[in-house]
Amino acid sequence: MLIELKGVNKTYDNGQPLHVLKGIDLSIDRGEFVSIMGASGSGKSTLLNILGILDNYDTGEYWLDGKLIKDLSERQAADYRNHMIGFIFQSFNLIGFKTAVENVELPLFYQGVSRHKRHMLAMEYLERLGLKDWASHYPNEMSGGQKQRVAIARALITHPQIILADEPTGALDSKTSVEVMDLLGQLNREEGVTLIVVTHESGVANCTDKIIHIKDGIIGEIEMNAQHNASAFGTSTIMK
Amino acid sequence: MRLDINTYHEIADSLLRNKSRSLLTGFGIFWGLFMLLAMLGAGDGVKGLLKSNFEGFASNAAIIVSSNTSVPYKGFQEGRYWSLKYRDMERMKTLIPETGVVTPMISQWGQTAVYNSQNTNCSVTGVNADYVEIEAPRMKYGRFLNEVDVERGRKVCVIGKRIYNELFPDGGDPCGSFIQVGSVFFQVVGVNFSSGTININGNTAQKVVIPSTVAQQLYNRGDNVDIVCLTAKSGIKMSSLEPRVRQVLGREHYFDPKDEPALLFLNTEEVFTLIDTLFRGVDFLILLIGLGTLLAGAIGVSNIMMVTVKERTVEIGIRRAIGATPRDILSQIMLESVSLTLIAGMFGIMFSVLVLSVAEKIVAASGEFTPAFQIGFWLAVAAAALLAVLGMLAGLAPALRAMNIKPVDAMRDE
Repeated sequence: MLIELKGVNKTYDNGQPLHVLKGIDLSIDRGEFVSIMGASGSGKSTLLNILGILDNYDTGEYWLDGKLIKDLSERQAADYRNHMIGFIFQSFNLIGFKTAVENVELPLFYQGVSRHKRHMLAMEYLERLGLKDWASHYPNEMSGGQKQRVAIARALITHPQIILADEPTGALDSKTSVEVMDLLGQLNREEGVTLIVVTHESGVANCTDKIIHIKDGIIGEIEMNAQHNASAFGTSTIMK
Repeated sequence: MRLDINTYHEIADSLLRNKSRSLLTGFGIFWGLFMLLAMLGAGDGVKGLLKSNFEGFASNAAIIVSSNTSVPYKGFQEGRYWSLKYRDMERMKTLIPETGVVTPMISQWGQTAVYNSQNTNCSVTGVNADYVEIEAPRMKYGRFLNEVDVERGRKVCVIGKRIYNELFPDGGDPCGSFIQVGSVFFQVVGVNFSSGTININGNTAQKVVIPSTVAQQLYNRGDNVDIVCLTAKSGIKMSSLEPRVRQVLGREHYFDPKDEPALLFLNTEEVFTLIDTLFRGVDFLILLIGLGTLLAGAIGVSNIMMVTVKERTVEIGIRRAIGATPRDILSQIMLESVSLTLIAGMFGIMFSVLVLSVAEKIVAASGEFTPAFQIGFWLAVAAAALLAVLGMLAGLAPALRAMNIKPVDAMRDE
């Protein structure tokens, strides 16, 4: 298993203790395309932060590719994030004063890859995502779909073990949302990228092969969805 | 820390993104360093100018002059005038063995020196050969008076710079020529170009210096002496000899040794100590103001970096999420701070060097002094090192704050 969570608990203590994750057991295998679905406040973002080593947990175990992710130093955590995890965010989180290609290069910069090589790689990835002509544009000159594709290129460039997408379609219209989800599906099928999508939209979840429902901090139903017919709102579109 | 061309791009980018802010912040550093260096340079220059005034003057000497008594003593009324005598010098030498040179000076004012058709006002001063211990001459031509001149009462003289210029407008070595002062002809044996402006009884440049024995006879002084100059042996402070000098002279001339006004005792050691203290005070003040201004500039940088970090929370969070270590963030902020400080400071150094060299030119053009306002190379290097340290200190607090930004915090900021 690529990802193994065993009895993970997380409590936020902001004045009043808030038990967010109440014993999460979860395994995700290499090459899976999974969505984590839940209402807001269900703990799905917290779970994503823990999976992405952005946050730590109180008790339990989190194994990522055979490594126990627990009590890491900041440096180690940064290193794992850099090499093993790619992030796609709802609001794209591109750096505004850098061009598309510079944004894509950034993870490689922190890996210490030489300037020339990372520029070449970044251009290659932009080309694959159909953004070659936009390489020297700044994020505010691009549409939402283009920005998200730049963000996907940035997530892919380090060949991470998993890609975590936090509401990847949250800031996009329905047509672009479909395009982005199709793109993610294609990456999963053709390149075997492990994808975990966190969403509260059933239409988005329907695009994935496995839907993990989370409710009040515990894993509920795990729906196998190979046929992509789980959506209550039809199978051909993402409802907005 | 990854230092490649992109690191510099990053720094340049973030400094240039807020041009006016960087400029204003940098100006604080620029001005601080300019103030510090310009004042240090100017301070040294002025010090040099002042010091040149004391050039050649003995720093552990005293000049004594007789005056009216101010208290009754041994049956004599107050307000009595007494006069220094030749034999007082022998007495002082014998009774106060710590004295080095004790030498007389006799002055006659309002004389006219004539050479051929040239004439000029002058004062005539009679001294002994050992007067050079008090005020070292800078002989342009010839020699100073020697012991034989004094002993034999030769009619020879050493003339000051201005007299030389007036009487010998064509220049050249005047030694051997005879000039007429009053009714007597003196043979010129030397020209003294000393430029120091400490003068005893008249400006050195406008003096005709003759042997004291000649002056004594010529001006009917008997065994009266106008001024006695004395030095202390090395290691002995002149101020410690003052009470003993008063004691010796008071006993001889019947005035109270504690009667200060009866004997003018001008102590160059005290003057020099005073000047030294003054210079130290000025130095301290310069450092205080300069470093204070510089520090204020550095605090400005620190403040702006703090604001920048706050503004860039999301950006820093993104960097952290995609793999920047806390150290990457720390070094980035520190480098920004150091770069801003160094660049602004270098301009400060350059500007102060420019201003000081202009000042040097102006002063040199206006007078006979060659001032040394310019700061030294190593001072500039030290200033640059100081800047780097200041930049790091200024960047420290903002960098630590930036380092503590958690990626999750940044994402929450949406």
